[in-house]
Amino acid sequence: MEKNSQPAIVIVDDEEMVITSIRAFLRLETDYHIHGFTNPEEAVKFMEHQPVDVIVTDYLMPRLNGIQVLARAKDLQPEATRILLTGHADKQSAIQAINEVALFQYLEKPWENAALLLVINAGIERARLIRALREKVSELDAAHSNLKDVQSRLWGVFL
Amino acid sequence: MPEDAGSEVAELQRELEAAYAQLVEAHKMASLGRLLASVVHEINTPIGSILSNNEVILRSLEKLKQQLGASRIEEALDIIEIMKSLAAVDKIACERISSVVRGLKTFARVDDSEWRKVDLNESIRNTLKLAGCEFRRRVVVETDLADLPEVECLPSMLNQVFLNILVNAGQAIEGEGKVTVRTRPEGDCVRVSISDTGRGIKPEYVQRIFMPGFTTKPVGIGTGLGLSISRQIVVERHGGSIDFESEPGAGTTFHIRIPIEHPRPAEPNRS
Ligand SMILES: Nc1ncnc2c1ncn2[C@@H]1O[C@H](COP(=O)(O)OP(=O)(O)OP(=O)(O)O)[C@@H](O)[C@H]1O
Ligand SMILES: [Mg+2]
Repeated sequence: MEKNSQPAIVIVDDEEMVITSIRAFLRLETDYHIHGFTNPEEAVKFMEHQPVDVIVTDYLMPRLNGIQVLARAKDLQPEATRILLTGHADKQSAIQAINEVALFQYLEKPWENAALLLVINAGIERARLIRALREKVSELDAAHSNLKDVQSRLWGVFL
Repeated sequence: MPEDAGSEVAELQRELEAAYAQLVEAHKMASLGRLLASVVHEINTPIGSILSNNEVILRSLEKLKQQLGASRIEEALDIIEIMKSLAAVDKIACERISSVVRGLKTFARVDDSEWRKVDLNESIRNTLKLAGCEFRRRVVVETDLADLPEVECLPSMLNQVFLNILVNAGQAIEGEGKVTVRTRPEGDCVRVSISDTGRGIKPEYVQRIFMPGFTTKPVGIGTGLGLSISRQIVVERHGGSIDFESEPGAGTTFHIRIPIEHPRPAEPNRS
């Protein structure tokens, strides 16, 4: 992902109404790309080939629950920030999620738009920092192996 | 002496009946209590949407005002589209909430402890709204409800029976599955059949499932009273029948038959 491209947000909730509401809010307040999925399996498929900054998911859904979705997200795109947005009923599962998938944030329904936006923005910043860091590390790696290369060629000249 | 003993027996009988009525009520409250977490979840989702939409619509109106002032018509039309979609969501969200509340109301109605003529399909639909909160996400619910004659019954008691059997059906299914509710007129009865694709009942349990206190569920999930109370309500109070077929590993069907006319003499007169 280019550093300056529009942030990409994935929203997963089996309730269409939640996606519509959050999408409308983010469209009004931001210029982020919003990808909404009522089917968690499709969200996972999407993340297989599209870079994502933040994923916000419900917990209780058919087929894949929120923790499973976040676990897959962690495998596919470890830099993407993982957020659980869930009804009160699954507090226990949220605690489990925090431990299992290194959850960034847990939000409860009904949610506050302002709080949601803060968390999403922090999530984007975090995802981009981690990506940038990773790039720097691999640049350093490349520079390092370049140096090694030069070094061995130098030795070659002398020996 | 025999007269005294007679009235003492009658007194004890009354006390026993009162204690049993309390037990039935307590079991109903316990079942509802266990459902409550899912009911709250079911309501919090649409409430979340409505609250968010309200805020977004207010902000949109502000923007709209600015855009119209600056004659930015394209952008204004865009915002209007967003607002339209939110209004549609609000309608669906309100319907969702009121349907769950209607389900709750059928269990809270005090005036429903009287004999009344009701359409059992209506009772089934309302009970499903509640039970559905619990397993809507992993269990598909199918209904096949035929036109029924009105049945003379104690509606809130029958609701409790349907809830008990629906909850059992949902609990019998590990992961995903299907619950089917069928209603049919059948001679001078109405039959309600509730099938699940759950684990079934082991042959060694078949004789015992209606016994009070028999449960295969962990403490906190089952008390083993649901079916014994259901049988008492259906058979003793309504003169109906309740039986089941089950295949271990494949599923279970409970059949409940309620006479259309209530056989009068069975009901002790308490005015
Ligand atoms: N649909 C079903 N599929 C499989 N087993 C069932 C089904 N319905 C009832 N049973 C068995 O019968 C037992 C007794 O059911 P009952 O409803 O009386 O009590 P319970 O469900 O265990 O507890 P509760 O008091 O909460 O209802 C259950 O523990 C279960 O083993
Ligand atoms: Mg039960």
